Amino acid sequence: MKKISMLSVVVACLSACQLTDYVPPVDPQMAAATRGRHVDVATLREGRRLLVHRCIECHTLPPVWHYALEDWPNIVNSMSHRASLKPVERDAIVAYILALRSQR
Amino acid sequence: MRLALRLSIFVAAILLTMSAFGGARHFTYLYEAPTSVPGSLELENWITWQRGTNPARFDQVDFRHELEIGITDHLQASIYLADWFYENDPSRSGFTYSDSAIELIYNLTNPVIDPVGLSVYGEISGGRQHFELESKLIAQKNLGQLILDYNITLEAEWEEQGLQKHQGELQQALGASYELSPRISVGLEFLHEFVFPDWGDEEKIRNVFAGPNVAFRRGNWFVTVTVLAQATDTPNEADFMVRTIFGFGF
Repeated sequence: MKKISMLSVVVACLSACQLTDYVPPVDPQMAAATRGRHVDVATLREGRRLLVHRCIECHTLPPVWHYALEDWPNIVNSMSHRASLKPVERDAIVAYILALRSQR
Repeated sequence: MRLALRLSIFVAAILLTMSAFGGARHFTYLYEAPTSVPGSLELENWITWQRGTNPARFDQVDFRHELEIGITDHLQASIYLADWFYENDPSRSGFTYSDSAIELIYNLTNPVIDPVGLSVYGEISGGRQHFELESKLIAQKNLGQLILDYNITLEAEWEEQGLQKHQGELQQALGASYELSPRISVGLEFLHEFVFPDWGDEEKIRNVFAGPNVAFRRGNWFVTVTVLAQATDTPNEADFMVRTIFGFGF
């Protein structure tokens, strides 16, 4: 009984972590949140794809609300060389993060 | 001399075109599902110290030098330039070259956006009295700052004069790592080995190791250290092992 309780706690903790979706898929609402910056859905999707492939090579993904909106371009730029990102790829990642951040 | 010069220019040209960091390791006894970024080149140096006392005391220090190359977003290759070791026990003491190896890892699914991140791994190593085939399935899940990792490995090994001695090994490894900050993570690693001398299981050799790890990364380098202690009591196996991997990108 004790083992089942412990297992339940572990499963609950893991489920709670899983529910915190740091990189949700791109939807029209997200694209709409970029108004003024004119970013299309395809760029946002590419930004998300690159974020989950390149950035996790070195570290886990922090919640986007950990850092201020204006800090994100410099944060991504500081690691873009290490992640072998071309300028257009770096900009796509920043666009996705800013769109996500704008929704929060 | 001309050949050496040409070779140096060739290597320098490759290094100049491949100037990114392959990625940091959170574990030393487990591989992670994400593969190196395409176009990256990284040198990883492995040092593993083992000490055993059952039945007699021995020390062994293994060295590996791995050149890791990111080919595509899903494929990476590694060349193990030289695996060599220092051993010290009542019967002998000294350095020995063991083998060199090549390895490929192909990533199938992503540990963040897919239910489980999966990769497959293949390695071939050969030396003067050593030949080994190793295959691995790597499963990983990232849950926020927590990384859960599982490897299952099958090895076939031929050793000694004429490669007459052969054995198989099935190994499963489980690891958890939590990122305290983007630069520092701490975790635990478990190893469970089934050894099959001469492809048989009469001796029922089972080894279990467990212990903590810590990883630090900054700029284009990282260092990860794991200390494992044996939870079983198998003769001629290490009581504890300390592995350090230091990697840097060009």
